[in-house]
This record gives sequence, structure tokens and C-alpha cells, in this order.
Amino acid sequence: MTARAAWRRFAPHLALAPMLGVALVAYLGSTLWTLAVSFTPSRSFPVAGFAGLAAYERLFSNARWLLSLENLALYGLLFVAAALVLGVALALAVDRVARGASALRTIFLYPYAMSFIATGLVWQWLLNPGIGIQEAVRQWGVAGFVFDWIVDPDRVVYTLVLATAWQAAGLVMVIALAGLRNVDPEIRKAARLDGIPAWRTTVSIVLPMIGPALATALLLLLASTVKLYDAVVAMTQGGPGTASEVPAKFIMDHLFGRANIALASAGSIVLLLTVAALLAPVMIARAHGRSRLGGR
Amino acid sequence: MGAAARAFEHRVARLGGGAFLFFSAIFFLLPLYVMIVTSLKPMDEIRGGHLLSLPLAPGLAAWREAWSEACTGVACEGIGGGFLNSVRIAVPSTLIAVALGALNGYALSFWRSRWTGWVFGVLLAGAFIPLQVMIYPLVRLTANLGLFGTLPGIVLVHVIFSMPVMTLLFRNYYRSLPRELFLAARIDGGGFLGIFLHLALPMSLPMIAVASILQVTGVWNDYLLGLVFAGRENLPMTVQLNNVINTTTGVRLYNVHMAATLLTSLVPLAVYFLSGRWFVRGIATGAVKG
Amino acid sequence: MRARAASFLLAAILCLAPFATRASEGRPADAPRAEVIHWWTSGGEAAAVRTLADAYRAAGGIWVDSAIAGSEQARSVAFNRMVGGNPPTAAQFNASRQFHDMAEQGMLADVDEVAQREGWERVFPAPVLEAIRVGGHFYGAPVGIHTPTWIWYSKAAFRKAGIEREPRSFDELFAALDRLRAAGLIPLAHGGQSWQDNLVFSAVLANVGGRDLYLRVLRDREAAAIASPQFRKVLLDYKRLQSYVDAGSPGRNWNDATALVISGRAGIQIMGDWAKGEFTLAHQEAGREYGCMPGIAPDAPYLIQGDVFVFPRTRDPGVQRAQRLLASVVTSPRTQLEFALRKGSVPVRSDVEVSRLDPCAREGARLVREGSRQIPSVEMLLTPDQNGALSDALTTYWNGARPVEKVQRDIAAALAE
Repeated sequence: MTARAAWRRFAPHLALAPMLGVALVAYLGSTLWTLAVSFTPSRSFPVAGFAGLAAYERLFSNARWLLSLENLALYGLLFVAAALVLGVALALAVDRVARGASALRTIFLYPYAMSFIATGLVWQWLLNPGIGIQEAVRQWGVAGFVFDWIVDPDRVVYTLVLATAWQAAGLVMVIALAGLRNVDPEIRKAARLDGIPAWRTTVSIVLPMIGPALATALLLLLASTVKLYDAVVAMTQGGPGTASEVPAKFIMDHLFGRANIALASAGSIVLLLTVAALLAPVMIARAHGRSRLGGR
Repeated sequence: MGAAARAFEHRVARLGGGAFLFFSAIFFLLPLYVMIVTSLKPMDEIRGGHLLSLPLAPGLAAWREAWSEACTGVACEGIGGGFLNSVRIAVPSTLIAVALGALNGYALSFWRSRWTGWVFGVLLAGAFIPLQVMIYPLVRLTANLGLFGTLPGIVLVHVIFSMPVMTLLFRNYYRSLPRELFLAARIDGGGFLGIFLHLALPMSLPMIAVASILQVTGVWNDYLLGLVFAGRENLPMTVQLNNVINTTTGVRLYNVHMAATLLTSLVPLAVYFLSGRWFVRGIATGAVKG
Repeated sequence: MRARAASFLLAAILCLAPFATRASEGRPADAPRAEVIHWWTSGGEAAAVRTLADAYRAAGGIWVDSAIAGSEQARSVAFNRMVGGNPPTAAQFNASRQFHDMAEQGMLADVDEVAQREGWERVFPAPVLEAIRVGGHFYGAPVGIHTPTWIWYSKAAFRKAGIEREPRSFDELFAALDRLRAAGLIPLAHGGQSWQDNLVFSAVLANVGGRDLYLRVLRDREAAAIASPQFRKVLLDYKRLQSYVDAGSPGRNWNDATALVISGRAGIQIMGDWAKGEFTLAHQEAGREYGCMPGIAPDAPYLIQGDVFVFPRTRDPGVQRAQRLLASVVTSPRTQLEFALRKGSVPVRSDVEVSRLDPCAREGARLVREGSRQIPSVEMLLTPDQNGALSDALTTYWNGARPVEKVQRDIAAALAE
């Protein structure tokens, strides 16, 4: 084939080569390496050797790890729902605002700009029954007001949802806003002329149009759910006791502080497999659906 | 539905929307209020007083200390010194990552083949791996490339970590655009790069804004990667910020912490505010109609 | 398009920009240069590190500071840099088993020569020597000793609760806590993080269980000792202490708990001697507004914990020289005293003149010298993994309603890792 035709044919592949390289070497390579280490008796650093499934056995008999997985499931559900709903609602509201949209966007997005080490500490103070919101409301006269989720082992996960949704909703908002910018305002007018109530237009027409943006937001939220660490360290340190432990913190603690890389690696692999198990069916179903409809 | 009833419903909706925005704003601004107020109080007042109370005698001492006097080790020069390093790391990392993400997203959405789907899947899975897990392998990799402890090394590491999210953003964004535009451009004789530069990129300003927001924030606030990979000469501001905030057994000066955090967040905030101009409306829709 | 090209060009230039030149210090090119990674970043700690830097400079060396807050971060960066081929000259670790793996793998240089020359075996307390000795060689230079289990109390709170003298037994301690509660104060100020729960446990085990039980449980990890009724009593007393803690305790930072004692809202805190820095910052003096007790009973064991510098192995003779000089400088009597004054720690050497230290540190130094009451802290005895598993078991017990027999089994399992 001519040079020009060859360039046309292979240009996309060339463009994707860096991505391919990174995906294979960095990500696939790291995952395989982590898998290998999880079968060794490594402690402070990787050593050769074969320890079989010892790390996995220890992992699944560890109460803290099992609790971490439970916490992550509960947290994930609530956090994704809260951030998505709040973010989309904010986007829809801000989209309609004529003036001051920039200021509003900054107000809702600024939490994302700040390191959670400091903002997490502030949330810890605000949620602390002795010095935070509970104390403030009581001082204003509402005696007996109780808001002590953060020291309650059964409710502490909700506080994590609160603070992280506070941080993430702004990002969901801008992603949805970017999608909304491509929605023709004529559609709303046309729908209203047809007598369709405004909320119906939003739910049945506008939201599906920003479907890909919502999918992006959903994936980002899921990724940050799995990696939840800074918030737990800044707000509760896994407490009270081990009530707010999460897998990423378990992995991190054993990777550095507790010097047991094999266990940390085993935890990482299990976490990754869990995520894959949850996402794979969705991905495959979408791929099938698309190929049947003729490939959009 | 009568016109009056519709107008009423319209007003209720607007009021409701306004109220929602108002209360949301309060919820969002509450921690910021606490941070600012704390940064203006002396330590005695913080220790003895109430969280939400206004400072008795507000002062900027903590801010001054955060920028130029706070101890971050033997040196007590605040966090200002690392500012330039943070810029030197953030600018190339953002530019390269966003450009690559746009290119990848474009290639994946308009020029698909079977195997690209799989590669994208692997990359996406990578977004779920906590980054600390990948540190040791990347240390070995950059050491072998001779880039460990250098500025190109840390930029490379940031680009690697941002690849999944950047690609995802642009791929999904391009998928939501009408395919007719692209097909028309191909018929007109456009090639891979030509369509990218003249059609896809100009249409993706809002997503470039979002991607820049994400990347600048991520790179500016990340300190673990900078700490491990940047080398002592290139340590970003966040390392000093961490030193000011996170002492293990030393005395904690909360007012300085808050001031330091607010100072470091000014750059991402500026990016957010300025990127607003890119949230322009209806580029694609206009193009289809016309 | 042109703007975009321009920014790419700018980016490329920034990427290739030459590194900042290192400031020359006006010293000969072959002066020993030591880059030191440590986690002493707050004001008081920084002043203490500066004494080390000054002493090193006075001895002819160049000190390059690499401070990284967060002990785990600092250690992990030191390790990663060793792996990446860009090791520091020295790195701070706790006097513990944290660096024993690395020593065994040959990643660290030994300091036997300095130890021999300066007679470390004569002047260092036994627990510290044990902590830095691996396979018969010395691998660290100790910088200072801390005790994690001091008992701090607010004199104003004691007066308000009618407590006339320091409790001398655990029963007296409980009585005092009851009186504090009756006076409307928080009896025990506690920050609810798992390392603090572990710390309080060490205090109870040492004071209630005694030296013998402490060593049998934490050093020998004897199953019989852990299942014994004495250990059960220790756990029950430990849990009883928790009832004196206020509702806002979980997640609280240690220094916020100290703030409660400083303001007189709480009576007692069990915390390491680094808490002195908070009192000093609030312009309070030992013996005047607050008191300090190294233990409850007059003969209670005195826990020893500390910081050391370890030296990554290198083939470069210049770096080796710098390492040996650093090891010698930080362990010299004068440096030890200056460091301790600012850090609030106790000098490691027993032949240091201590009259300038504050009353609490003087008492600590006396106990270190005495030797009979010294016991190693838990991190000197357990691997980081075991210690972490122990913390998990303890914090679950402290914060929940787990039956004590199950906790004994949890602890046995944790220590068997």
C-alpha cells in the first residue's frame, strides 16, 4: 500500500502506542508483580521464595480485613448515590443560572481543590460531639440535640459518606455541566410547548442525553471509592476501634507501617478481583448491547 | 395547562432551585468558614474557644508564618519555597496528560478496533489500583530508566497515573458527540491527525476544562509521588505543607495548618475559576443544525 | 493553534530546565556531606534537629536536611530511595525492629567501629543496645530516648477534685479518677487512635502486671502468660480506664487531649514525654501547673523507646566517612544534652550532665541511669506487624464490648504472627 495509505491505516495505532505501553508495562506489569509478591514470604521488602497461599489464608481469617470489605460495600453504595444525585442536581440548577454561575461553580468545586488532610481534620472537628455541630446547636438553645455519628461504631461510615460526598459532588457537577453544554436549549422549549412538565423533560430527555458524562462520573466515583484512604486517616483513623476500617487503609498499613508486603499485596489482588467481578458483567453486557445495535 | 398555571409552576421551580442552591452553598462553605476563622485565631483561642466562633482579634500571623516561617525540618522557611517546584511539575504534567488523554479518547471513540477495547479495559482497571501499591514497581522502573529522582521522572509518573482517567474522560465525551460530523469530515478527506486538530479538539473545550481541573488538582495536591520520585531539588510545595501539618509527635499549630492549606489551594482554585470560560455552550449542536 | 504550540514549547522548556544549583557552603569539596531523612518537622523538633546539624557542622561536615513529616512516610521514602539507587546518608528510625529486616538483608552499614571507639556498651542502656544490635553488629546511632507512658495531670483539676497527692497505686488512680468525674471534669483525657490505645495498654501492663508479666507477654510471647488470670486482670483494668474517657474521644489527636489537661477540663493523660512541648507552648511549667509521673507505683517499670539514625550501605568512601562522623557526633555527650533540652527527650548516654533538663526529664534520666526499672517498649520487642495486630485487638476491645477471654485469644493470635 502507498505510504499515505499506510499512515492512514496505522496512525491511530501509533497514537495509541504510548497508552498501550503505559497500560501494559505500568499497570499490567505492576498487577502481575503484586500478584507474584503475594505468594512470597516478603516482609519489609520483596524477597524471593514461595509461601503459597499463606498471605491469603491470613487475610481471610483477619477480622479487620473482612470488616473493611463490608464497610467498603456500604460506603460505596451510599457515597456513589449521594455524590451522583447531589452533583447532578447542582449541575442542573447551575445550568439554569444566568449570572453568578462562575461563582457558584467555584463554591461547589473548591472542596476538591483542598488537600483532604486539612479538610478531613475540619470535618472531624465539626462532627465531634464535644466541639462541633452538636455542641454549637446546643449552645444556640436546642438542648439535647444529638449528632455524634462519628463516635458511634454503627454510624461512623455515614460521616465518611458525608465528608467525601462534600468533596466529590463538585467534580460530578462539572462533568455533568460539560455534558449539559451540548444539550440544545431548544429541546426544553419544544417540550414545554408540547405540554410536558419541566421535571419530566429533565428526567426522561435531558438526563439520558448526558448519559456518557454520567457514566464517566460514575466510574470516577467508583474508582475513588475503592481507593478511599485519606478521608479515613484524616477523620477517624479507622475508628472508633476498627469500625471505619477500609481495604485501602489495610493495604497501606501493611505496606509501610507494619512491614508485611505479602499481606498487603494479597489484599490488593483481592480488592482488584472484587472490583473486576463487579464491573466485568456490566462492561460485557454493554459491549454486547452495542454490537447488536450495530456499533455506535 | 393554562399560561398562569405554567407561570406559577415556573416560579415555584425557580424558587425551589434557588433555595436548593442556597442551602447547598451553606453546606459547602461551612468547612471553609471554619478553616478561615481558625487561621485567624491564636493558638490559645483555638484551644480554649469554640470551633465556629469568630476570632476575637483576627490576625494574619499564621498566614505569614505558613508562607515564610513555619518549620519544615531544620529549615523554618514556610511553604513558599516549594511553590516554583510545584509549578515546574504541574505544568508539563497537565499539558502532556490532557493532550495524551484527548488523543487516546479520540482514537478510541472514532477509530475503534477489537483490541483497543481490551487495552482500554486494562487501563480502566488501573484506575482502581491504589497508587501506593504501584510505588515500588515504578521506583524500579524509573531507576532502570535513569529517571529516578529527576523532574522528567516525576512528570512521567504523573502522566502514567493520570492516563486512565484522562482517556476515560475524553473517550466518553467524544462518544456523546454526533458521529455524523466525524463521518462528514472523513468523506471530505480528513486524516487521523487532521480531524483531531481541526474538528475534535475545538469541540472539546468543556472537557479540556474538566480534564485540566482534574489533572492540575491531582498533581498540585499529590505529595507522595513528588516525595518519592521528584528528587530533593524538585520537591513540590505539598511536601512542605505535609511537614507543617502532619508532625508525628511535635506540637501542632492548627492556625498555621489551616493557613498553609488555604495558601496551597489557591492555585487549583484559580484554575477552576479561570476554566469557567471554557464551559461554552452548544458547539456541537450548532454544528449539526448548520 | 499557535497558542497551543507555544504552550507545548514552554512545557518542553520547563521539562528540560536545568536543576537549581546547590548552594555552596564555603567548605572544601571533600567535606563530609550527610543527607539525613527524618520526621522532626514541628517547631520544637526542628530546633532539636538544628542542634544536631550545628554539631555536625562544627565537626567539619555539611548537613543536608530532608525532613518528611509522618514517621511511616519518612521511613518508606528512605527505603524507596535505597531501592531506587539514590539513598540518603542517614535515615531516622525508631529504636525498634523496624530496620532489622534491612540490616539482615545487608542494606545497612554497621557502625561497630564507632561503637567500639566510643564505648557505647558502657554508656547506653541495655534496651537501646539490644535494639541496634542485629546479628552481633551495631546498625544505628541512637539519638534520644523517650518514654511513651508518662502520666500527666493538671494541678488545677486535682485541686478542684480534692485530690491531695499523686496516686501511688492503680486503686488510688481509680479513686482519683472517680473524684475527677464527681467534680464534673473529664477524668482521663484520651485521643482515640489505635496507637494511643496501645500506649495506654503498655502503661497498664507495666504498672499493673509488673515487669515480669510484661516481658513474658511482649518479649517471650508466652501463651500461658497471655491466658493467665493476671493478664486477664490487666485487661479488665485497662477496659475500666476506658470508662473514664469522654464521649468525644474516638479519632481525637493526642495533642487535643493534652489541650484538655492544659485547660484544666481534664485531669489526667497517659502520653509520652513529647507532650511536654504542648505544655511549654501554653506557658505551663512542670511542678507549677502540671505534674508528671513516670509510673504509678514508686517502683513501676520505666519504658524505654527512642530514635536512631541508620546508615544505608554504600561503597563510596566519602559517604562512609560522613556516616561515621555523623554517628560519632550525634552520640557525643554535648550533642545529646543540647538535643534533649529542645526535644524534651532524655539523653541516651548515662554520663551526660543533666542539671539543665526540666524536672520530668531529670527524673527520666535518673531512671535510665538506674537501670533496674528499665524495660523495652513494645516496638523494641515486637515486629511492626505483630505490634500492629496487637493494636487492632486492643482498639477493638477498648471501643467495643468484646468479652475479655476472646480478647486474650485475639492477643495471642496477634503475637503469634
